[in-house]
Amino acid sequence: MTRSLPERWRAFRFRWWHETVLVVLLAGLLVVAGRLDPTFVRPATQVELSTHAWELAILAIGVTPVIITGGIDLSVGSTLSLCAVVLGLSFEAGLSPWLGAGLALLAGLAAGALNGWFVTRTRVHPLIVTLATLAAYHGVAEGISLGRPISGFPDTFTHALGKATPAGLPVPAWIVLALALLASLYLLRTAAGRFTYAIGCNDKACRFSGVPVDRILLRLYAVSGLLAGLAAVLFVARRNTAKADVGAGLELTAITAVVLGGTSINGGRGHILGTLLGVLLIHETREFVGWQWNRDELNFIVIGALLIASVVVHQGLSRRREA
Amino acid sequence: MANALLRLAAKRGYGILLLLVLTVGAVSLRDPSFLRLGNLRDILVQAAPVAIVACGVMLVIVTAEIDISVGSLMGLLAAVLGITTSTARLGWPVPVGAAIVLGLGALVGLLNGLLVTLGRVPSIIVTLGMLTALRGVTEIVMGGEWITRLPPGLRRLGTGGWAGIPYSIWTAVAVAALTAVIIHRLPFGRRVYALGSNPRAARLAGLSGTRLRLAVFAWTGLLTGLATLISVPQLSTIESGLGSGLELLVVTCVVVGGVSVNGGRGGLVGVLLAVVLMVMIRTVLVFLKLGETPEYWARAIQGAFILGAVLVDHLAAARLRKGGAA
Repeated sequence: MTRSLPERWRAFRFRWWHETVLVVLLAGLLVVAGRLDPTFVRPATQVELSTHAWELAILAIGVTPVIITGGIDLSVGSTLSLCAVVLGLSFEAGLSPWLGAGLALLAGLAAGALNGWFVTRTRVHPLIVTLATLAAYHGVAEGISLGRPISGFPDTFTHALGKATPAGLPVPAWIVLALALLASLYLLRTAAGRFTYAIGCNDKACRFSGVPVDRILLRLYAVSGLLAGLAAVLFVARRNTAKADVGAGLELTAITAVVLGGTSINGGRGHILGTLLGVLLIHETREFVGWQWNRDELNFIVIGALLIASVVVHQGLSRRREA
Repeated sequence: MANALLRLAAKRGYGILLLLVLTVGAVSLRDPSFLRLGNLRDILVQAAPVAIVACGVMLVIVTAEIDISVGSLMGLLAAVLGITTSTARLGWPVPVGAAIVLGLGALVGLLNGLLVTLGRVPSIIVTLGMLTALRGVTEIVMGGEWITRLPPGLRRLGTGGWAGIPYSIWTAVAVAALTAVIIHRLPFGRRVYALGSNPRAARLAGLSGTRLRLAVFAWTGLLTGLATLISVPQLSTIESGLGSGLELLVVTCVVVGGVSVNGGRGGLVGVLLAVVLMVMIRTVLVFLKLGETPEYWARAIQGAFILGAVLVDHLAAARLRKGGAA
């Protein structure tokens, strides 16, 4: 079954258009930013600013596979809030913050698994299930903490996860890189990962072919929750505070990053690399607008417009290729 | 007998009505003043804007699309209303400001519809983008300052009434009646349901999905403008965070009310009852007098209601399937 060179050439399709466009956009943004204010693009500045992006990246990595299956997880922001509060309350109750972090991760896993249970068991659209848990988890976080902030975590905890920079990069950066690598390997190199795409294309066909659809979905939603818990731990360590509304709205930014990164909201298509680029593009845009004009409200407009524009452009490109 | 009950539970309207009656009954046993006319009116006044927007979003969801931009849209429209009419800002006559709000609402809705139909962008993405972008536009329009000194003519829209019933309730009733007529009596309503239940068949039958979708999105924008007109003037100042979270509350009510997100199914009565039920939660928690803590649980209870509705649906459907086979 060896194919001649021209055949192979014809069979070859460049699959990374979307990522290339994102890299070009990102480079353009950084060049313009460098022209306007050279201090913004200095490595030291960038590392300093990057602390704001890691939690978003972790959430987005968790949500990407879920969206590839054609589902969605709107509850990650609330899960983050809930886990932050769990960490805060268990610290207040006298546990070590590390034990609290473990409990927070467990809470995230449980929250995600509950989403997965509802999605797989009742077969109700994930949009509805996670919309419900978006309200529910936020409500529980408010209920158990009575809406007050918890702070005063020990330096050993905040320093280890927030300020320490082993080998030049902060700890969360290493975590994000490791997670991205693992998630990419899972999606591209394991059977379950390949099924993730198959489910997104046609879940009925998958069920008939004996793919353990429900088991995979349950696992993906649970992991999405677990990663929200991890993001919560990092957030609390960085800001030294836990409150019931810390994650509010983050789900929308995370989904924006995923979709901007080329993952189809209808499922079946997407990569972790694209998601990371999406996070980076949103992050750089946000930081630069804040840095240059000190106007946070411009961010909202830019991010909203980016999201819609990226899909419009993508639809236009894919229609041309079909024709 | 049990099957009949399940069949009843599957018709969402009755289930919610039952829940509503039980809740009201339980609360008024504990504190009869819950049934005071003033209190019931307050609940309905709170429910009115939600009900109005829900009438629009419901039609959008029936076409199997979704609109989660209404919260930010209301924030923007509130800012525009304040800026055009406030005597400290432009000071234009109230009818002019109201017309601008309604027009702008419909225009943003139309833009949503255009992006969904001609841009071929999934509606969740379009309205998610709008939700974010409009929030930013609002902040810029407001310039970081609250809007005060609203003219008395505007305040009357929010606080006044006719025959002892506030304008907002009249408006909500009128919109609900109009929506009922649209759904049950007009070809437009039937076409919307046809499009939602089977887009392909609808197209083959000669219906224009593009035009129908444009219409429901623009209609939702217009209704959001109307909801802004009757709710915002109740306040003495307008801040930039207004309306945030409305989109989730509205979608929650529509879904709990029995409208299927897959399109084509769901009635108005269930949605309206769900609006009252959801809006009532906070008041009920206050009246139960469990101290200050329960108020913090309001959001959790809202979420639990949706999950409960989802579970009841699932169980009822499973039992009915089994019963039908036997």
